[in-house]
Amino acid sequence: MATIVQPPSVARHKARMEHGIWSWLNTTDHKKIGQLYLYTSLTWFLVGGLEALFIRSQLWSPNGHLVSAETYNQLFTMHGTTMVFLVIMPFSAAFFNFLIPLQIGARDVAFPRLNAFSYWVFLLGGVFMNVSWLFKAAPDAGWFGYAPLTTKAYSPGLNIDFWVLGLQILGLSSLAAAFNFITTIINLRAPGMRFMRMPIFTWMSFVTQFLLALSFPIITVAVTFLMFDRFFGTNFYTIAAGADPLLWQHLFWLFGHPEVYILILPAFGLVSEVLPVFSRKPLFGYSVMVYSGMLIAFLGFGVWAHHMFAVGMGPVADSAFSVMTMLIGIPTGVKIFNWLGTLWGGTLRFTTAMKFGIALIALFTIGGISGVMHASPPSDLQQTDSYFIVAHFHYVLFGGSMMGLFAGMYFYYPKITGKLMSEKLGNVHFWLTFIGMNLTFFPMHFLGLTGMPRRTWTYDANQGWEFDNRMATVGAFTLAVATLLFVFNWFRSMKTGKPAGNDPWGGATLEWSIPSPPPEYNFAELPNVTSRTPMWHGDPGPGPATYPAAFTPAPVRTASELGIVLPTPTMKPLIAAMGLGVAFTGVIWHKNYILIFLGAAIFVATLYNWLLTPLEPEHH
Amino acid sequence: MTRHPRARWRRFVSFAPLLVLALAACGPDVPNSIFGAHSEHGHQVDDLTRFLLELGLGVFVFVEALLIYAVFRYRHREGGPPAQQIHGNTTLEIGWTFIPAVILAFIAIPTVRLIFQTQAEAPAGSLQVEVIGHQWWWEFRYPEFNIVTANELYLPKGRAVNFSLRTNDVLHSFWMPQLNGKRDLISNRTNHLWFTPDSIGAYNGFCAEFCGASHANMRFKVFVVSPERFAQYVAHEQTPPVYPLALDTAAKPAKVAKNAPPPPPPTIPLTQAQLNTGTWPTDSLPRWVVPATPLPAMLADTMPGDAARGAATFKTAPCIACHTIQGVSAGVIGPNLTHVGSRTTIAAGLYPNDHAHLVAWIMDAPVMKPGSQMMTLGQRMMGTGGLTDQQIADIAAYLSALK
Repeated sequence: MATIVQPPSVARHKARMEHGIWSWLNTTDHKKIGQLYLYTSLTWFLVGGLEALFIRSQLWSPNGHLVSAETYNQLFTMHGTTMVFLVIMPFSAAFFNFLIPLQIGARDVAFPRLNAFSYWVFLLGGVFMNVSWLFKAAPDAGWFGYAPLTTKAYSPGLNIDFWVLGLQILGLSSLAAAFNFITTIINLRAPGMRFMRMPIFTWMSFVTQFLLALSFPIITVAVTFLMFDRFFGTNFYTIAAGADPLLWQHLFWLFGHPEVYILILPAFGLVSEVLPVFSRKPLFGYSVMVYSGMLIAFLGFGVWAHHMFAVGMGPVADSAFSVMTMLIGIPTGVKIFNWLGTLWGGTLRFTTAMKFGIALIALFTIGGISGVMHASPPSDLQQTDSYFIVAHFHYVLFGGSMMGLFAGMYFYYPKITGKLMSEKLGNVHFWLTFIGMNLTFFPMHFLGLTGMPRRTWTYDANQGWEFDNRMATVGAFTLAVATLLFVFNWFRSMKTGKPAGNDPWGGATLEWSIPSPPPEYNFAELPNVTSRTPMWHGDPGPGPATYPAAFTPAPVRTASELGIVLPTPTMKPLIAAMGLGVAFTGVIWHKNYILIFLGAAIFVATLYNWLLTPLEPEHH
Repeated sequence: MTRHPRARWRRFVSFAPLLVLALAACGPDVPNSIFGAHSEHGHQVDDLTRFLLELGLGVFVFVEALLIYAVFRYRHREGGPPAQQIHGNTTLEIGWTFIPAVILAFIAIPTVRLIFQTQAEAPAGSLQVEVIGHQWWWEFRYPEFNIVTANELYLPKGRAVNFSLRTNDVLHSFWMPQLNGKRDLISNRTNHLWFTPDSIGAYNGFCAEFCGASHANMRFKVFVVSPERFAQYVAHEQTPPVYPLALDTAAKPAKVAKNAPPPPPPTIPLTQAQLNTGTWPTDSLPRWVVPATPLPAMLADTMPGDAARGAATFKTAPCIACHTIQGVSAGVIGPNLTHVGSRTTIAAGLYPNDHAHLVAWIMDAPVMKPGSQMMTLGQRMMGTGGLTDQQIADIAAYLSALK
């Protein structure tokens, strides 16, 4: 065979395609896509946090005037929408992407190009939603967008248009990803990886995908109705035409409550990976953890109307939803106790990841308890729509989801980057976050119990609310400092961190058997799995001598050396997503049909071309 | 009161600091506390909430104590015993499934009982009050007495009150934390809520469902008064304000030189009903029901006005398109102003009802209250057209006189 000498420009081009910015734009590698999700969510996390700082500064004193009422309403709407759809969900998606194939011993997800498409559509949705700020028309009717406030009659501006279309885009991304991961987990498990041997994070993610696949169609319907009302003059929510606004509420919460579990179950999964490793014990009650996750998800579809006790559904419905909601406390409690059981009798190593994991148990418990209080309608009628609820769900979402995600980020940092993250800075980050979180959200319990309504731009003096509001504001700024420190630590450790080797923590599952960062092909040879903790061989042992342990990485062979065929990098998912972007821009731009059809044409043509191109290069 | 069957629990869970903090939420420093409610249903809800809170604190202390114990007891020690390789424990796991279920049953039973009790039909003979939500103010109607008023609600102590709740636009929620739980106002529906206020007092009310720009400024005041005083209030509200009718002929066009002292207010004999307004005496308002919203600086300078001229101006001003003053105008978009002078606040509980605030409000309502559907009327703001400072001061004086 004759050697072909490439001209330098071609070689440079090739290098760019493999390592530079292009390698991110055309990637179909689940690990790269996972990182794209992670960095994008981190960016939105900073944006959502900044919005929170504005909110807290406005509430620093009674009758504050830092921002106008209209701006405030945009801030809290975007804070909620951002943190739910652009932060916690995609942070979880980052872990789905990065971890699931590694944990089940696969080389990639089932549909790598669809996976890239999900990411690009998610990015588009986030940008679309936030571009509204530039037009001074950010969504302003709350993340729950109750009709009829969202209808044209009461919100004539572009604000709600951005929200409606943004949600549609994000829903598309979530649905595509859900089907992808369901297929991946069912079909791509390594030999011997039975369902009941799957790592618990993969299990919780698996359950989450079903929640996504079943609940997002509901919000899609609800939002489509609203979109039709706003763009084509239909009357699904038009009060003047006799519409019943409870239609929206039922649809929204039928999605919205499973959504809560979409936000929390992946974090539960991450913590269930972290605690055993640093306790040097297997997870206590593995099967019960799996079943309780399923039960939470199942019951999660039957409790939506507990968000609506104040709408007057009547005593029978109130009682039914109340009891259903209390029932969901049982599997949740079981999880808490099983985590305690995991710690019990272990030898605990307090790494930063472990601290965040333990913090989740401590803080989620508080959110869970206040949740049971809301399950009782007579009591809830005094609490709903007050700051007590704000306290409750921040304990669940910050104290639960974010703590779990931080635990996961510290735990998997070495696997993602190949470097060790500074535990010293991590420790400071943990304590600042823990203190800041409690300082911000605990006083909100008192604000709620002393009558302060939610979503209020301002409050009057002499109501006894100054002190608690000030504490919360101080806490919010503490959290901001903590988060900046985290970002600093993240990027600094990428430069200065010691190499991590395969397994800095003495991990139990397959992802720790391969180099960090994992090679493109993940596993040189697909593993044969014989237990739930394949890396422990029945005994976790004391783990590495120091935490975390630094290892000199072994040389990694390339895919072509090993003869592994990988999917061809392709820009088609990105181009298809851009087509959607053009179409949606056309919709918001006074229904510009030229743009709409142009975008749709790009989308359809790219999709057609994509479907006709094989995933992997053909063999010759 | 009979001894509460759950008093046992309270002894169990008298955990110090958190409980103290939570119960501190009853003091006068937190006037809108949901604890120590002032209605019959309120007391029962209060009991249930305390029970839940104490039970929750018990669970909290139990779980956190286990966690803290585990963290200290099982931390890694050099040369310590290796981790015990336990995969699970069926007895324990059944236990911590079953015990929470029992605890939840203890919550569910009183919950369901109280749901049916509070949502039963209102007792016969209860006072009917219609509540109509508007962006961003409250309309109150007493069909029994043919009274329409706004933003200030009078209730007699000891008589059940049955609210029927409607909205004129988007969703709102009717909440008086010191009296009872909230109930939403749903477009195209009528909701109900009833309770019996049982102590005299002045309370704050809030809109608790996000309703747009001035959701935070959609407040109201509730005055629970003695039945006698309530009867006086009703009689007063039913009396048409004689004032504007009498002035109809007396009014002269405004031709007063600037800086001239205002003419003395016209003397008009007031009826007995007007003297006994039955309204809450302004000088004994608790400080938390007096709004402290600062007056925007640009609107702070006011001149005195003349009520008689104001009455005449009002009739030709845009005011009449939206506001009703019995016998004068019949607008229905804004609050009924028939007895506006006897209210303690304006702009849905946002500002005290005095001359300076009234003037500023008429001059530029959207500055005073974001999104206000009452338009800017001051000539100062509008350039041409609108009302002059003197005209506005006159109207303000007139409105203040509508006791």
